[in-house]
Amino acid sequence: MKGPVPAFRRYQVGVRTAKMRRRLQDLASGKVTESQVTLEESGVDVAGVIDEVTRGLRADSMPVQRLVTWFWNSGAIDHLADRLESRSIPVRIAAAHTVGALHLYEAVWYLEPLLASRDRHVSDASARALGRIGGTHSATALMRGIQRRGTNRRLVAELARSAPDQFIESAISEAAKPGVRPALALAAGLRRRRTATSQLIRLVQRGSMRERVISCRALGWIGATIAIPLLIEALNDRNWKLRMSATKALGALRARESVQELRQLMIDRNPRVRRAAQQALLRIEAGRGA
Amino acid sequence: MMRADLRPSLVQTDPRRAERTAARKPVAPRPAFHDMASRVGTLERAPVFYTFAEGALRALARRVRRVRVAVGELVVAQGEPGDTLFFIERGRCRMVVEKPASLVTVAVLTEGDFFGEGAAILGKPQQASVYAQTECYLLALDRQSLTAVMTGREDGSMHELRWFAEQRFNLFADTTVQATWGQLLQEATVVGVYSPKGGAGGTCISMNLVGSLSRRYPGEVLLLDLDFPYSHSALLAGLIPSSCLARMDQVPQESFEEVLLSAVLYDSAGPMILPGALQPEEADAVTPELVTRAIAVLRKTFRYIVVDLGVTITDATLALFDLTQHVVLVTAPELSAVKSAADAIDIFKQLGTPDDRLTVVLNHRSIKPAVTKSAVERSLKRPVDIEIEFDGTRPEQAAVDGAILSLTNPKSEMTRGVEALAAQLDRIHARPKAGKDLPALVGAVKAEQPE
Repeated sequence: MKGPVPAFRRYQVGVRTAKMRRRLQDLASGKVTESQVTLEESGVDVAGVIDEVTRGLRADSMPVQRLVTWFWNSGAIDHLADRLESRSIPVRIAAAHTVGALHLYEAVWYLEPLLASRDRHVSDASARALGRIGGTHSATALMRGIQRRGTNRRLVAELARSAPDQFIESAISEAAKPGVRPALALAAGLRRRRTATSQLIRLVQRGSMRERVISCRALGWIGATIAIPLLIEALNDRNWKLRMSATKALGALRARESVQELRQLMIDRNPRVRRAAQQALLRIEAGRGA
Repeated sequence: MMRADLRPSLVQTDPRRAERTAARKPVAPRPAFHDMASRVGTLERAPVFYTFAEGALRALARRVRRVRVAVGELVVAQGEPGDTLFFIERGRCRMVVEKPASLVTVAVLTEGDFFGEGAAILGKPQQASVYAQTECYLLALDRQSLTAVMTGREDGSMHELRWFAEQRFNLFADTTVQATWGQLLQEATVVGVYSPKGGAGGTCISMNLVGSLSRRYPGEVLLLDLDFPYSHSALLAGLIPSSCLARMDQVPQESFEEVLLSAVLYDSAGPMILPGALQPEEADAVTPELVTRAIAVLRKTFRYIVVDLGVTITDATLALFDLTQHVVLVTAPELSAVKSAADAIDIFKQLGTPDDRLTVVLNHRSIKPAVTKSAVERSLKRPVDIEIEFDGTRPEQAAVDGAILSLTNPKSEMTRGVEALAAQLDRIHARPKAGKDLPALVGAVKAEQPE
């Protein structure tokens, strides 16, 4: 829409946003302890402004702590809780965004039900908030979400982001969570933590086909050179997905010792495996040159 | 809305709001009484929480997560980010500093100890890797839980926690720098050759490995023969020993180095040999302290020290395992030898030897082996790194002639095998080049020191 009225409205929103940003920055820096910030400022993306102010800061940093303190003192935190339970989808999304930006660990219990929301935007916003908050409870909530909804990209990415040390590793080992293991293996790979190597190796050896396929890729992402013999062995598997996954992992690991086996895969009956072998050989060759 | 007891410290509690909050508080799972008592007991023992109020400890105990770690598994990896404090409830862990060409154990942690505070509290990368030496039960406290509990308290505990974490971080930073001294000072790499079953060819391989390495670095490679009670390396190389390590026991500190080096036998082709004991009864005089002293002296003089550890594991051998940068495990394709090798690998894992610092050598002592290579690998649960094919009577003939095969016969299978082993050792334990790599390494070490 063009014309003087919409332009004037945009200008008004811009002014209000700048004013809110200034107020929040003053609160975060400790210049003031009281402020007139409201979560329902007309036209202003309050969650976005809070996100802007707290971006890159840790939950235990003083600016975030001061903002959280103000939210508790002013009672704004109760409004946030109400908004998380609102019927309006945009309101719920904005509230989830806000609690994520504030790293509000106490909000995990309120965000978890939103993961099951039928609206994808709400569940994604909730997952993002949980990922940003992090910690055991957030990771557990995301894992439950994966159990309910199956492997979902957003949930897995946020699980990788939120899971504390040894969370994914011990969850993979637990026999009670077989259905969620492929997602956990994927998250372990995304985290690129060496500590998950032995669990992933066990999955490649003894897991279901899906777990084996994902674990192979994850080992490649982690850079687990110790798994090279196992990956070479997987190149001879009957399942083309496993062959392709192992091929890609060997390429990522620049495993020179696998060149001969990879060359043999250039005449594999599956075109995707052939292509993966070609790419892997190119990567190994490039690594050798470097 | 949310839980009243978790509010930040500056909040003045409004009773009306607190009531409302309590009514809406979601139910959190709580640990059972005996479990809670065990958790609090473990946290109480950690010096980092000495000054904490009981309420804070209980709140932390409710939030910790119990983690079971199998033997030999990596708990935290050096250089990676971390967000969790680990308290050892049961078991033993080994903290190691991994530097290229060296791996130094800086602490063995037992029940009540903790680690990970540098990453979890200060936000710095992990200073050292921690491996589980036995099956461990750890209590994991993540940063978010710690923040959630501690921000509600104004007793200065968080400040003390940071101060304590910084102290420990600086202490370990110093240890890390010390761990790299060996590399900066260009000290020798100690390679232990261990054969859990007699007759697998451990002595022959260590002798030929020394020959192969000394061709690359003449005058810079030593064989320390600790294959007790009968140390025959010197005899096999055609040398006549006059002294040995066991006789250094009573030598005063000021002349120890001189006397020790005078006991080293020189082979005209390059390798040098230091016998452990000349008489079987002298073996008892080789104590762990003597071995440590001797290695400290020899590391300054040589580039590689290959130690023939023989068959039996004694106190001296165990002391040497702690000083070795690489272990070569020799086995033959025979049932009993393979079984012993599998047990030895388990022991190495428990001792915290990383996989890349362990090389398995399969030495064929007959034309037709009783056990195939794939069967050996299945039993060992790891690949065989180097395979030495059957070499006929050449090794025996070389022993009779007092010659070292790797120096006299480049076409023999033994020479090929040990050449591959020497190349692998060289690749893993390459020294920084004086002009190029060393300043970079010094820079890296300095950069790791705390500001």
